[in-house]
Amino acid sequence: MKFWEIGKRNLKEIYRNPILLGFLLGMPVAFMLVFCAAAGGGQASPIAMSIVDEDRSQTSSAFIQYLGSIEAIELNEPIYSEKSQAQEDLEGGRISFYLFIPSGFEEAKQAQQTVNLELAYKEADRMIGLQVKPIIEAVGSEFLGVAPPLNVELKGAESKIKNVVVNFYFPGIAIFGLMILISTAAGIIAGDREKGFLARMFTTPARPWDFILGYSLPFIPVLIVSTLIYLGVGMALGLTVVGNLGHAFLIFFLIGLCSIGIGMIVGSLVKSESQAGVSWIFIVPMAMISGAWFTVEGMPSAIRSVAGALPFIHAIDASRAVLNGSSFSAIILDIYWLVGWAVVLFAVGIVLFRRTMVS
Amino acid sequence: MNAVQTLKLTKKFDGLVAVNGVDLEIKKGELFSLLGPNGAGKTTTIRMLCCLLKPTRGTASVLGHDVVKTPFAVKKLIGVSPQDTILSERLNCWENLALIGKVHGLSSNEVTRRSKELLETMGLMERAKDQVRKFSGGMKRRLSIAMALVHDPQLLFLDEPTLGLDPQARRTIWEYIAELKGKKTILLTTHYMEEADFLSERIGIIDEGRVVALGTSQELKTNLLEMRSMVVSTENLTAEVMEDLQSKYSRLEKVKGRLKIYHKDLDFKEIVGYLHSRGVTVYSAALEQPTLEDVFIQITGKRLRD
Repeated sequence: MKFWEIGKRNLKEIYRNPILLGFLLGMPVAFMLVFCAAAGGGQASPIAMSIVDEDRSQTSSAFIQYLGSIEAIELNEPIYSEKSQAQEDLEGGRISFYLFIPSGFEEAKQAQQTVNLELAYKEADRMIGLQVKPIIEAVGSEFLGVAPPLNVELKGAESKIKNVVVNFYFPGIAIFGLMILISTAAGIIAGDREKGFLARMFTTPARPWDFILGYSLPFIPVLIVSTLIYLGVGMALGLTVVGNLGHAFLIFFLIGLCSIGIGMIVGSLVKSESQAGVSWIFIVPMAMISGAWFTVEGMPSAIRSVAGALPFIHAIDASRAVLNGSSFSAIILDIYWLVGWAVVLFAVGIVLFRRTMVS
Repeated sequence: MNAVQTLKLTKKFDGLVAVNGVDLEIKKGELFSLLGPNGAGKTTTIRMLCCLLKPTRGTASVLGHDVVKTPFAVKKLIGVSPQDTILSERLNCWENLALIGKVHGLSSNEVTRRSKELLETMGLMERAKDQVRKFSGGMKRRLSIAMALVHDPQLLFLDEPTLGLDPQARRTIWEYIAELKGKKTILLTTHYMEEADFLSERIGIIDEGRVVALGTSQELKTNLLEMRSMVVSTENLTAEVMEDLQSKYSRLEKVKGRLKIYHKDLDFKEIVGYLHSRGVTVYSAALEQPTLEDVFIQITGKRLRD
């Protein structure tokens, strides 16, 4: 149980350092407050949306009614029946975008097939598309159920999601916040290396895994508390948890473990606390391509492939799905992916750390 | 079996030879000092023996275990007090000692018992519950040595144990180390000749990565010192007298009005008599006991602190 002794030491070093502790626990609160303030919290200004209903079915009408019930959306009147008319208004600048519900919408829903919607906007106003798309996705998935399997169930006119913008962006922002554990964990190892404490400990019979586990251990309570803060502050500021909160917590916990694992790797590679700042070179791009701040659909396929191989996009997608109501079976592959990554990252950390024990 | 045995131990860093073919044999229970100036290779040698550095060439074994092949067997048997006083600054004395003790496999009871003994011996009991970041350099150094001892190791490495301490704190540490004499094998590195002289049973003088002399303090002084020295306080010392003395004796040094004469066979009476005969007033004269510094100068041609 050498790792436990090293872990206890690190735990005390962190928790008796008020600045570090304040950063670790205060940062999630500050992060969420700023995010929710920026995202509009519970008072987001509604987005004026035009709709073309080519299907003109009961389902499409219910869907439009459902969209209208969302606080973040204000439906423009009238509802277009012809796409060409809406296109003319878009080009004439009378509307900024429109949602096209094609004919066959009801049939596709009933046949449990993929439902295609079209969001039309001017190419110059690409940000509108990027902003509205996740809202439509969130509302649509709630209305239609999340595929696969397509479990269509009309949930009535009242949406459970209070603020779709917060629900869409929250997972990415919270996971980006947990990614900061990478630099913190790396910094603590690198600091001990720089001060010579690790060299002293290397003269004891402690093994590489004792150090990796010992340096990870104090971050587990930090991770748990941070996740609770993210979820708690998020919910207080408009986040709606439709699905299972425990499943969401599990996803955040697993991605936090992955972040600590990456921190262990970086900490094994760098020699000083200042060098640990190099981890930001990975954190920011990883957050960007994983959809922490905006959707990945518009990215080139090569970037999407890289993002898909990393754990973060899986955590963001899975937590978003769970928060919006998906069942555990719908996210199980993402869970496997995260567990696999955590195991690999810690194993690599141990191998790299072993190399630093003798030079 | 020797406690430490090295054969042609060598360490190079990017072409710089830090330790160059060191052969050492340290017996069990011996207090052995490596004496040399900064950068001589003392710490590098210790770091290889503690399994922190892999030798570029040569072999080293500690208590019968090869430092490269079986490092964890070595680490179980040694205690190390590094040159820089490295402690967990936000832990107190008990917690620092418990960390090292428990990582070495001691039970909680054993750790408590050993820690109590050591804290009392080192005079730290009164401050034992304070975080060590509030300690003075001397207190930290004492705790560092206690941490190296908490698991009762067979071999103790003390790397510059009094570096940067004031004379009083240094003397206190010397007393603690002296108490361990005969109870443990100790390998101490220092660049303070008084420290090596006061504490060691045998001394290895190391310079530029090589052990240039080895023996007891007395052996080094008597066997290696070809020259002895005499210090004379004088007045009216003329240039002619100095020239005359320079022609007769190996080396002369004038320091703060005092004349220091080096020669193989110094004759006290002859020198004083000669100075009187030349009208030089002699206030005092004394033959000097050779020091390890003299030995070091004799061997390397430079001072320990150069």
